[in-house]
Amino acid sequence: MKKVLGFLAENGVLVALIALVIVCITQFGDTFLQPDAIRNLFSQASYIGIIAVGMTFVIMTAGIDLSVGSLVALCGAVAILTLNKLSGGDGSESVSILLAGGAALGIGALAGLFNGFVIAFGRVAPFVVTLAGLAGFRSIALVLGQGGEIRSQTPSFQDIGFGGVAIPGIANQAGQPVVVYWSIFAFLGVALLASFMLNYTRYGRYVIAVGANERAARYSAIDTRAIKVWTYTFLGALVGLAAFFNAARMNSVGTGSVGLFYELDAIAAVVIGGTSLRGGKGRIWGTVAGALLLTLITTMMTWYRVDTNWQGVVRGVVILIAVLLQRGSKANDSN
Amino acid sequence: MHRLEVRDLVMQFPAVTALDRVSLSFKLGEVHGVIGENGAGKSTLMKILAGVQQPTSGSVLLDGQEVRFGSVRDALRSGIAMIHQELDLVDTLSVAENVFLGGEPTRWGMLARSRMDERAKQLLKSVGAEFSPRAALGTLSIAGKQLVEIAKALSHDARILLMDEPTAVLTDQETASLFDLIESLKSRGVTVIYISHRLSEVERVCDRLSILRDGVLVKTLLRGEANQSEMASLMVGRDVSEMYPSKRERNEAKLILEASEFIVPGFVKSASLGVNEGEILGLAGLIGSGRTEFAEAIVGARARTSGELRVDDISKRIRSPKDAMRAGIAYVSEDRKGTGLVLPMSVIENCTLANLREYARPLLQKSNERAAAEGWKRKLDIRAGDMRAPIATLSGGNQQKVSIAKWLETSPRVLILDEPTRGVDIGAKREIYSLIHSLAESGTACILISSELTEIVGMCGRVIVMREGATVGELNGTDATEQAIMRLAAGVTVA
Repeated sequence: MKKVLGFLAENGVLVALIALVIVCITQFGDTFLQPDAIRNLFSQASYIGIIAVGMTFVIMTAGIDLSVGSLVALCGAVAILTLNKLSGGDGSESVSILLAGGAALGIGALAGLFNGFVIAFGRVAPFVVTLAGLAGFRSIALVLGQGGEIRSQTPSFQDIGFGGVAIPGIANQAGQPVVVYWSIFAFLGVALLASFMLNYTRYGRYVIAVGANERAARYSAIDTRAIKVWTYTFLGALVGLAAFFNAARMNSVGTGSVGLFYELDAIAAVVIGGTSLRGGKGRIWGTVAGALLLTLITTMMTWYRVDTNWQGVVRGVVILIAVLLQRGSKANDSN
Repeated sequence: MHRLEVRDLVMQFPAVTALDRVSLSFKLGEVHGVIGENGAGKSTLMKILAGVQQPTSGSVLLDGQEVRFGSVRDALRSGIAMIHQELDLVDTLSVAENVFLGGEPTRWGMLARSRMDERAKQLLKSVGAEFSPRAALGTLSIAGKQLVEIAKALSHDARILLMDEPTAVLTDQETASLFDLIESLKSRGVTVIYISHRLSEVERVCDRLSILRDGVLVKTLLRGEANQSEMASLMVGRDVSEMYPSKRERNEAKLILEASEFIVPGFVKSASLGVNEGEILGLAGLIGSGRTEFAEAIVGARARTSGELRVDDISKRIRSPKDAMRAGIAYVSEDRKGTGLVLPMSVIENCTLANLREYARPLLQKSNERAAAEGWKRKLDIRAGDMRAPIATLSGGNQQKVSIAKWLETSPRVLILDEPTRGVDIGAKREIYSLIHSLAESGTACILISSELTEIVGMCGRVIVMREGATVGELNGTDATEQAIMRLAAGVTVA
């Protein structure tokens, strides 16, 4: 029994994901097993997923970032404003779009740098600093959008959201090729990169050390403040990336509504994936699975026609179960 | 009659067998010592008796009945209480509140504060404590807190007390009164199971003592049946006559590191030292004299407001342990759990943590890391089953060796060792001494900080003494006796 529980706790997110996939296949086989249904699942998971990968590092340093949802709005607003500014000029549209993407990433990284700097050098709790960011970044976005939506004047911007690589030989029911969106490639690419950073770079090792015992890390000649600053900056840049795709898909940014509660979803994906909120322990593939699991649950609830008002309860229960299972494994392996 | 007995106790961890078929009995009203090297299984035995851990196999019998403790609460209910090495109390509560924490007397669901204070007063009196039950715990000395822990155990009607290194943090006088208390508890029929490294204490206070080595019970002796060196031999399984390596004459002195006029607010008022190549310099002083803080300021772990640091006669700006490492200065912390090691990380990862740059090109070369760690394992005789297991699974002495290995990895020119043998058994102690000796031999400047004067005198050619945050004197060669150091450390004027 202990072994079963231990295994479940260690790999719970995978077990749950596989179980739900099986349920989906048996219950909604026709709908679920369509190539574009699966593509859509990944597509929906990708925005939160990209952010959650960065959040994994932050949480591993025993930190938290509550500002990511508001930052999505700010980065999206900046991206579209940049695009609109450039679109009147002589430059090609694709160059403008690239610059808009750069602006989103840059603003995101800058905001993350600011968070990290105050946390590391001002010695303010991450919760407080990023709570301020949650209020502040949204507010700046609202000012930029005059309280409403900012629309792009470049129709081809949507190609970033809906473009991608068509998989040869796979078509949907209508006979059209299924396109794997750029955001999905970005999500998986970011996850691979992060996984690599965690396991094969000094930075990854230092993140674990800082999260597990910050003082011992500092005494071991690690520049713990730099590690923290980098971690929040990296997350900020990823938020910019997610915001860029999000804005492209809509070809607009609703400054008051976009990114709402993204921080909670991203944190939930990380925690469900088995990363410890106390820091020092985490894994990227868990976060990826966590983001997919959350998206799948949302999709299933739609299929089951669960009242949207109730969906939050289901998500809450899933998060609690994930954390309780982790607690269980801790009790087992503490010698 | 045997009050408490263990039969064929086995405790198997992934990496080691901590206890191997140990059978032991504790009599009513006796003081029973349990001694052994670090990693011998003493603490594991205590944890099983206190209900913290469950044995892999074997049984615990209380008054002839087999018992199973699933938790500390279960053990307490059977009258077994543990007095922790790291005291388990809440500083912000009063003494009485601590004594009854979790078992507060109530009346109609409300705290019966006056009754609580009254009972706490009686209990405190019975352990010889003179402070008020209403005093805030945080205002007490460590010895006082220990008395509160004992009173707390008695409040649960504990008939068997487990004491793990109870004197480690006490002064001589406090130790003496603790022994008086143990005598009086004994006369009231309380059984005391006493763990210690200090053989002289065990000899003084225990009626019987059991020696563990590598998880196996070697022997149970009556008081006076063996002298200290015989006990020590039984513990390590070999003769430990020569503790310290022979001192070496220094020929030419080449000053490497010089720290002058350091001030660390609240800890160090005015401290200076210089250390030569290939020398073992002792930094002595009473606990609280600012030794550790001075050392931490040298490596930049603690901010100083004034003072100059010179390496090879060049002034250096060192503001973090990272700067210090670059300048070739390493500090092996006294606090393994807090600042020395990252406990959840593996043995290998701890070994290479300070020198990880060497293994990143730019990607981490894990096989090289492993090879380096295996090398230290051989060189320092680190006993670890699985080098990939968390370092928390190692015994204190082995953790200490990894802590030192982590810094030797960086090939330091100056190595500061703060209490390197604290909580380390005799065998490992000797190995650490000879390691320090051979480091000095090869030219490393070593600074040894220690509370054990015999250790300072045995190892160091030159000793600098600190008192109340200031370096107050230097003793050389044969002048550096325990008495002379103590006089300086305590501020006694020589007649």
